[in-house]
Amino acid sequence: MRTILTAAALSLMASAAMADTTTITVQYAYPELFDTTQKEMLEAFSKKHPDIKVEFRTPYKDYEDAAQRVLREGITGNVPDVTFQGLNRVRVLADKEIAVPLDDFIANETDFDAAGYHDGMRQAGAVDGKVYGLPYAISLPIVYYNMDLVKKAGLDENSLPKTWNDIIALAKKIEAQGEADGIETEWAITGNWLWQALVFANGGTMLNEDETKVAFDGEAGKQAIGTLARLVIEAQSPNMTPNEMLAAFSAGKIGMMVTTTARVNAVTKQIGGKFELKTGNYPDLKEGVSRLPAGGNVAIITAKDKDKQKAAWEFLKFATGPEGGAIMVKTTGYMAPNTKAADLLKDFYAENPNQAVALSQLPYLTGWYAFPGDNGLKITDVIKDRLQSVMDGSRAEEAEAVLADMAADTQALLPRR
Amino acid sequence: MSLSASQNRAGLALIAPASILAIIFLIAPLSSILVLAFTDYQLGDRSLRFIGFENFQALIDDPVFWKSLSNTLIYSAVVVPGSMLLGLVSALLIDAGTSLRSFYRTAFFMPVMASLLAMAIVWEFMLHPSFGIVNTTAKALGFASHNWLKDGDIALYVLAVIGIWQSFGFNMVLFMAGLSAIPRDLYDAAELDGTPHAWERFRLITWPLLAPVAVFVAITSAIRSFQVFDTVHALTQGGPNKATEVLLYTIYAEGFEFFRSSHAAAITIVFILLVVSVSLLRFVSLKKNGEGA
Repeated sequence: MRTILTAAALSLMASAAMADTTTITVQYAYPELFDTTQKEMLEAFSKKHPDIKVEFRTPYKDYEDAAQRVLREGITGNVPDVTFQGLNRVRVLADKEIAVPLDDFIANETDFDAAGYHDGMRQAGAVDGKVYGLPYAISLPIVYYNMDLVKKAGLDENSLPKTWNDIIALAKKIEAQGEADGIETEWAITGNWLWQALVFANGGTMLNEDETKVAFDGEAGKQAIGTLARLVIEAQSPNMTPNEMLAAFSAGKIGMMVTTTARVNAVTKQIGGKFELKTGNYPDLKEGVSRLPAGGNVAIITAKDKDKQKAAWEFLKFATGPEGGAIMVKTTGYMAPNTKAADLLKDFYAENPNQAVALSQLPYLTGWYAFPGDNGLKITDVIKDRLQSVMDGSRAEEAEAVLADMAADTQALLPRR
Repeated sequence: MSLSASQNRAGLALIAPASILAIIFLIAPLSSILVLAFTDYQLGDRSLRFIGFENFQALIDDPVFWKSLSNTLIYSAVVVPGSMLLGLVSALLIDAGTSLRSFYRTAFFMPVMASLLAMAIVWEFMLHPSFGIVNTTAKALGFASHNWLKDGDIALYVLAVIGIWQSFGFNMVLFMAGLSAIPRDLYDAAELDGTPHAWERFRLITWPLLAPVAVFVAITSAIRSFQVFDTVHALTQGGPNKATEVLLYTIYAEGFEFFRSSHAAAITIVFILLVVSVSLLRFVSLKKNGEGA
């Protein structure tokens, strides 16, 4: 009996001690990219918040794995307290009530905007007007130039394309040299991310306001699919898988490549000294009209306990704030969405101008749209298949008919209300 | 033939470990798949509703499913004869030769042991449309070059060739084992009886005696080719436009990418039926051979 009492007393003391330090568990994806980042971030965070102890769970392999595991854990009830997820998975986690809405936490902060957590950043993790996550490591679409090929075509770094018309003209010139293909876009990445970029940049949206009807078949969408078709017909964009495209670009066989900023580090390494790489802004951006979807990952609170939620919020703020952002940028090559992070990174960006390019696109940042309902992720696959028939040239001449088919397919998979 | 009670108990105790394992790892997951296929469950849901045959109805109306099923069958129809023929020919050649036998055996068996995922990446480089070795060789020899993995008309057959390359070594080893079981004196007797041609010897002795092995090889090859996944996942992701979509990949995509778990469960049922029916064939043929021998 005495031993039981002592044990009870001990456990009481232990829980009293626990009240001073809160332990939260954190799980992130892509260990090969983020292990060093998270370790360095944890060190800096612990110095600032000695009362919060952070424990990492074994990282998720990738975004699919991350979403699957947290969905399963949602049923068994052993979710971590903070989880890092792909930006287009926020909606599923909000729908299944695994992600905790952050609006109350944000309302309690003073000068949140001034600290760099701007509106676009909050929109990126929002579903139905509520914020469920803060973006952590993000990427935006940019253009990669093989400067050797660009110069041979008669242009230089001061006359790089600003519009799709310029890009197509340059692609033709590069093609005419006979050494390489002019342009390739990673249109297939995640199924529809670049498609969203094309439509959003023209001021369009994926669905209408109340998310019941397809809206990408409007004027913005027609222009978007028209651009893709022109790349195939006029610029002779080759039909490659993303891996083939990266290998070909790094080998100097493609003049221009449109894809995510997240590839800058890897592509630079693969090129080595073979040719000069330069990155440029996504074409045809119009202030007030254009927006660009953020790729990358988002930090989400999954803790149910109030104290843990509070501690998790501190961690979230740190990770997505200037300091966490600066550590992340230096160690990965992604961008930090927080506008104040760039101030801490002046030297870094001066040394790595190719990474700095996308920063000027931050004002256009918006969410990576996730389609509603049970077929939300299936829709991305339908869109990818339809785009494929334009990009492989089989239906490039009738791009608007493809767009109509794509809209019909998508409409059929939307929830019926 | 009646057993005593203690014998009965002993018998039950002896089969208990195997049956418990079978229930945990085989029966339970299979039955939960069966149940899921009749619900509207999605990964992460806290409740589910029984919807009868709706998932199967949806499958019938789903062109992707039919494409996936027919692709799987086409893939098997190429890979099974291809890998059997190549396996048999290489087994016969190695068996007939005297030098470097173990070298050839190891070399041809290598693809079976290598990680198919890693090998897929090598294939991806070889098949690269602008600088892959396949296209550069084709151009040098005056043949037309192709965009092997992105051309919907040929992508599935390219994957089938990789499938043959990967699996014929396994069939070769099985055939070699079969060949070594054929008594040498039969060949000597044939020579005495005046069948000097290698082809005649093969037709009269080798092939009939190898038939049971061949049936076994055909059925295991078929089951293994139904299970093609790695190369599809690594090289084409079912594309372009579902040209290389196969059953296992569809199950994976529906269940783990689109989270439509009940839909994936319904396809899994179809897949299991397919594999079971081929396994039944094997059972029947083994029984027949057993009686014949």
